[in-house]
Amino acid sequence: MDTVIETKALTKRFGARAAVDGVDLLVPAGVAFGFLGPNGAGKTTMIRTLLGLTQASSGEVSLLGLAQPAKRREALARVGAIVEEPKFHPHLTGRENLVVVAAARDRAADGRIDDSLARVGLTDRANDRVKTYSLGMRQRLGIARCLLADPALLILDEPMNGLDPAGILEMRHLIRAFVGEGRTIFLSSHLLDEVEKTCDQVAIVDHGRVILQGAVGEIASSGEPTLVIEVDDAAAARRLLDAQAGVTAVESEGSELRVKLSADLDAATVNRALVQAGIAVSRLEPTRATLEETFLAVTSRLGEDE
Amino acid sequence: MRLVAAETLKLRRRRGLMIWSLLLTVGSVAVTGLILIILHAVNGAHHGPAGGRTNLEAYAFLLSQLGAVTAIIVGSAAGTQDVSNGVFRDLVVTGRPRSTLFDVRNPGALLVFLPILVLGVALALALTFGLAGENPSPSASYVWHTLVYIGSFTVVNLIVAIGLAAFASSRVVVGVLIAWNSIVAHLLMQIHALGGARKLIDVAAAEHFSPAINGNNKVAMSGLTATLVLLGWVAAAALAGRWWTSRRDA
Repeated sequence: MDTVIETKALTKRFGARAAVDGVDLLVPAGVAFGFLGPNGAGKTTMIRTLLGLTQASSGEVSLLGLAQPAKRREALARVGAIVEEPKFHPHLTGRENLVVVAAARDRAADGRIDDSLARVGLTDRANDRVKTYSLGMRQRLGIARCLLADPALLILDEPMNGLDPAGILEMRHLIRAFVGEGRTIFLSSHLLDEVEKTCDQVAIVDHGRVILQGAVGEIASSGEPTLVIEVDDAAAARRLLDAQAGVTAVESEGSELRVKLSADLDAATVNRALVQAGIAVSRLEPTRATLEETFLAVTSRLGEDE
Repeated sequence: MRLVAAETLKLRRRRGLMIWSLLLTVGSVAVTGLILIILHAVNGAHHGPAGGRTNLEAYAFLLSQLGAVTAIIVGSAAGTQDVSNGVFRDLVVTGRPRSTLFDVRNPGALLVFLPILVLGVALALALTFGLAGENPSPSASYVWHTLVYIGSFTVVNLIVAIGLAAFASSRVVVGVLIAWNSIVAHLLMQIHALGGARKLIDVAAAEHFSPAINGNNKVAMSGLTATLVLLGWVAAAALAGRWWTSRRDA
């Protein structure tokens, strides 16, 4: 199986508003796939629609190669999901909560309860009531609940929410370990840094539409090449670069300039021009755009904030 | 069976629910029996023994009314707890049909409620026969009809509560059903202008089986009609709960 999630023109409307708007998405198998977007972009609605928690208004969904909703039960048997924050019966223990969900899965799920608890480090607290758990422990118990399915696909909605730095690191390691086991992780998040550190592939979503998708590195570097330059006379350098063909933008901060270049201009040419003009260059560094910069560039929220 | 066992687990582990259920059924009979025993011991001339047919009527009244309250509370918990605790969506994403997730609530709640009710009934019968003294003991037929009345009234309320609570997605059903059973249904039954339509009231149908209620105070109907009315209430509530559980966003 090459693709674990495939949607074609998937749309979910609430009245006149499209929370998911004609989304074509391809999630390859065996990767951590980030579904990145600002709050309210439609990420959770997309996940709920994928899982059949709410009916799609139109479009097609395939999970693990199985058309939805026709083969929903077969597909979901190998899918684990946390939608929004993980919820449990607070009066039951962690283990009892897993027993309840295992009962809804095949009989083999019963035998995975202890392993799942051990995998997320909750064996010692398994017999405590969930109402005594911290948010981080509930997140881990949510992962354990997903593992009851021995999932080929794990769908995690904002799994880092509310976690402290140690918890975030632990979750990141867990996700990478799952990918190492050949599972696919579909991770929605508004935390750019986390998606960049955790995921192999990403789709950027806003206003219910997927704007970009591809490998994290490719998307992050898909913007214009940028040079960070430090010179002894920033004002003179800026005047020179503003007039230089192939320079699309110059921003200055003190002695540092950030220069955006078109594809036909390289760093060596810029350096030569500065030096020939008598400007001393103490630093000239081509930089890769971060995912954050790409994200801000492509989402319409940037325009709203300005 | 695993899903039914999971349903019973969710209910059994609610300590408050279990304590109140025991107090309302077993506790109410025990306290009443104890008061009757003390009264008889203190003033035997004015207060007869705590057993016998007359006192079985009192125990049966308690078990039917407070047993129904217990059934409504247990049923409402069973009908809403997955949704109110936010776990319903996690059960839905297992791929199990939503109708199955609803259907297992009925046997699950029955397996929790019936043992409690049986305990209360057993205590009532032990007091009735064990402490009858000079009071006449009830006949087997009288006991049988009493059991049918208690059982039908409480079990119907349990299943109706599960269905309506799932349909309304709210435990406000507890108050509504208690008000219906204790006030509204009885008021409607007293409106003779309603004629045969009163047979459709579940309380009237259940009271048909009660040997303790005077025939003049009952809505006249056959046993078959009463049974069909009770089954109709059960079916309507179960269908409503099942329909909404299958249709709602998770």
